[in-house]
Amino acid sequence: MNPYKETVDWLDRRIGIRALLHQQLTGYLLPRNINIWYTMGAVLMAMFGLQFLTGILLLVYYVPDTEKAFASVTMIMNEVPYGWLIRYLHVVGSNLIIVFLLLHMLSVLYMGSYKRPRELTWVSGFILFNLGLVFCLTGYLLPWSQLSFWATTVATDAAGAIPIVGDFLIEFLRGGPSVGEATLGRFFALHVMGLPMAFLALVGFHLFCVRRIGISAPPFGEEYQPKLTYGFGHEEHPNGVPFHPHYTVKDLAVVFFALALLVAITFYAPWLFIPLDALTPADPFTTPEHIKPEWYFLWAYQTLKIFPSEFLGLAAQGAAMGFLAMLPFIDRGPERRPVKRPIFISLYLLGILLFVGLSMWGHYS
Amino acid sequence: MDDATPKERRTFLTVILGGVGAVVAAVAGWPLFRYLSPIDKGSAEDLVRVARQEVAVGGAHFFSYQGRPAVLLQPSAGEFLALSAVCTHLGCIVKWVDDKQEFLCPCHGGRFSPAGQVLGGPPPTALESYPVSLDGEDILVG
Repeated sequence: MNPYKETVDWLDRRIGIRALLHQQLTGYLLPRNINIWYTMGAVLMAMFGLQFLTGILLLVYYVPDTEKAFASVTMIMNEVPYGWLIRYLHVVGSNLIIVFLLLHMLSVLYMGSYKRPRELTWVSGFILFNLGLVFCLTGYLLPWSQLSFWATTVATDAAGAIPIVGDFLIEFLRGGPSVGEATLGRFFALHVMGLPMAFLALVGFHLFCVRRIGISAPPFGEEYQPKLTYGFGHEEHPNGVPFHPHYTVKDLAVVFFALALLVAITFYAPWLFIPLDALTPADPFTTPEHIKPEWYFLWAYQTLKIFPSEFLGLAAQGAAMGFLAMLPFIDRGPERRPVKRPIFISLYLLGILLFVGLSMWGHYS
Repeated sequence: MDDATPKERRTFLTVILGGVGAVVAAVAGWPLFRYLSPIDKGSAEDLVRVARQEVAVGGAHFFSYQGRPAVLLQPSAGEFLALSAVCTHLGCIVKWVDDKQEFLCPCHGGRFSPAGQVLGGPPPTALESYPVSLDGEDILVG
């Protein structure tokens, strides 16, 4: 008697598990020239899974109260066994997620995988990227440190540059005229309930789009030909490699590399993401000097500074983000090979340089 | 030496990843268990100080001892007893019945004497007692 076979047989008689596994895993064929950049989705799912797990564990001891939040985080770090490990994994993990989200987006842009018929996949992915940033912003306030308090004050204050509704928007975001108990309450609710639910729903839609439309073949090699699609059609790869075990093993290997990086930073350089101001409890009457946002918001911070008015800075950011969100509807040619898209690739490189340049300028200014 | 086939390489990678995964899961299990285990507060909470005036003669004073409900009695002037207030039947908290000078468990009617001995009902054993000493105007339990 083989317990594994017995279990599969039992499931097969009830829900047809063998046909399902064949359809979704072993019989699901991917392009033969699929590359490592296609593993970013699996890496992100693993990293987000870890964020959910460590987040739930932090909730065991965290107290969302302005009088107790900092002390509860200090207790997690200093008194709870391995509390430092859980918190550092959560903090470092959130930063690495932004890195992997950027890499995922950059690879999709480079290979033109956002193009028709994958507009919805791109738009849902872009919203997921923004949700990731809001996750970071709301989570940043929760320790109720000087850094949390003032970073949130500055971030919410930026909304005031929007004409007419700016002042209302600031108060609405904060739940009052300044960052306080009401802000902590709404940011906490968003961070632990609202955003995760929206995020899971959107990830489900994103994966549905990926599976329904089919994996896009990398636009490299002699066999690649630009395709014009009109009606719906699942992109098949008849001579491809099975998703399982061929690609799942590669997915898993890259996931392990990402986790190794996470653990390495967690153990050897967690201070990269925990500056000194994060070690002092919030004081609404004392602004620390040289308060700066997290690295992934530095470009936005610097943009606001270089424009003559905050409104223009915000408008420039909105235009850039809006352009990215709508890219599949603007860039509609079927050609996906980077060498055949010199204008796009030039803009792509300039965009990366601008992001890095503005971020460094913001950091050192 | 022959080159390994793609299938052999994949099998090798699967074994390595499975092994590393098993080790990581095992290593991660211990911090997770410790993180969720009750925090040892040390010996600071082993000794509880209660003011003598809190415990009337013939009365009872409920307090927390090592995270559990406990009760202090003064059956006669200057004589103090400390007991667990957790019924030994199913863990309900006993209450002090002043006019009968005994404990009653409201859940299933268990009765205990001021010394914690079972007087009636389903409790299988006496209430746990704690050492008591006096320190000036305070009573030290533990």
